[in-house]
Amino acid sequence: MGAPFDISYVFSYLPKLLGTLGTTLLIVGCSLLAGIIVGFIVALPRLYKVPVLKTCSEIYISFFRGTPILIQLFLFYYGLPEILKLVQVDMTRTPVLVFVILTYGLHTGAYMSEMIRAAVQAVDKGQVEAAYATGMTGFQAFMRIVLPQALGIAIPVFSNLVIALLKDTSLAFTLGVMEMTGKAQTLGSLTQHFIETYIALALIYLVISFTIEKLLLVAERRLLRHEKRSAAEKRSFKIHKNWSYRRIIAELGPGKGGAGL
Amino acid sequence: MKLDPSFIWTAFVQILSAIPTTLYITVVSVLIGFVIGVAVALIRIYRIPLLYPLAVGYVTFIRGTPMLTHLLLIYFGLPVLIDGLAVQFGWSFRSVSIPMIGFAYISFSITAGAYMSEVVRSGLLAVDRGQLEAAHSIGMTTPQALRRIVFPQALAASLPNLSNSVIGMLHGSTLAFTVSVVDINAKAQIVASTNWKFFEAYLAAALIFWGLTFLIERATSVIEKRINLYNRGGVA
Repeated sequence: MGAPFDISYVFSYLPKLLGTLGTTLLIVGCSLLAGIIVGFIVALPRLYKVPVLKTCSEIYISFFRGTPILIQLFLFYYGLPEILKLVQVDMTRTPVLVFVILTYGLHTGAYMSEMIRAAVQAVDKGQVEAAYATGMTGFQAFMRIVLPQALGIAIPVFSNLVIALLKDTSLAFTLGVMEMTGKAQTLGSLTQHFIETYIALALIYLVISFTIEKLLLVAERRLLRHEKRSAAEKRSFKIHKNWSYRRIIAELGPGKGGAGL
Repeated sequence: MKLDPSFIWTAFVQILSAIPTTLYITVVSVLIGFVIGVAVALIRIYRIPLLYPLAVGYVTFIRGTPMLTHLLLIYFGLPVLIDGLAVQFGWSFRSVSIPMIGFAYISFSITAGAYMSEVVRSGLLAVDRGQLEAAHSIGMTTPQALRRIVFPQALAASLPNLSNSVIGMLHGSTLAFTVSVVDINAKAQIVASTNWKFFEAYLAAALIFWGLTFLIERATSVIEKRINLYNRGGVA
């Protein structure tokens, strides 16, 4: 199948694939932003137990986590124009990228909302009570006390979600978006050097996910620096802390279907 | 093009025939992945020389790259490897005789293996070290202690993650269409393109996946109750 293996092609394809890195990162960035906004909106009814909205957000989360992202991608690409046609909106000229970002945004939104909910709930309730006792309003308590702590707890899960999103963008080629995987397939079929292109592709993904992981690890250390204790205290707390920390992470873990393959 | 609600049902019935393929891919990759995962996790926990860096590299590579890339690499790379070896050693086996679904099995098993190894590893680490020491103190060998004491507890601890992995692989199996395996997703595509009703067909496929995911979750919660029986509290 194809031309004989030649490692030099891997290096010559790297810059060509890097040219489309912008599209991949654009999808990741935009859908991440959309996902965080959607996630907050969806998490609020569940955090404050708003009657009807709570059920709606539960169904939303269940659907987006219970179906494969590839199916969602096709569903939005083919379904949205038809539904919007019923209300006289024409979407025939909308670029494909919009559908892709919309789908990924809604998909990550479901996971984000779970992450936000779990992280906010992981902050000790006494913290909020203490904030009220000093005369803070609910909003102030949330912004100054709960949010900073929740951010630190949520970062490892967030990191997983970003990397999962990055890897999911490899499916955008199915709608004809020229991101890295799409470009790799075109290059491969042009020159018949499939293996070399995919090795180059894998290397780029590896480097990006590695970088994201390291960056967010730095962020995590910074956000959790309030947890630093004196050495002696640390030793006695260590076992207990590790255990509770692991449990929170397990609880936060991107729930069902969150393998982010 | 008009919305045709009745076609959702038609597509639903037609797509049902592809469920076994999806389930085969999921089950095979999860089972083989689990075996790989246990091996890799034990190598990493016991830091076996030589194998340790290999295991770490494998997990990092697989988790850092998309599942689709693994599939494409195996699909295009494996035949070259097998045919090259076959020529060298004079085997009669050629890559042509591997069915398409074979590539999906191999590649998804490798993918699942890396994710499973993390699940197994965190499960094993969740078991208190004292348990192993207690088993040793009453004269069990390490394999005995692992099999009788550590693994059952680790399994209970990692069940939620395990269920996530299974659902992840179920959803990942939709990628099999790229190597022309007719799973639920590919069947939906076929049904859609012959009738030109894409939205309805994918809606039916989404419903089927939603149902399958729901079933896996229910099954997990039943097993979880059963497997955690030993842990039902008591003193302290």
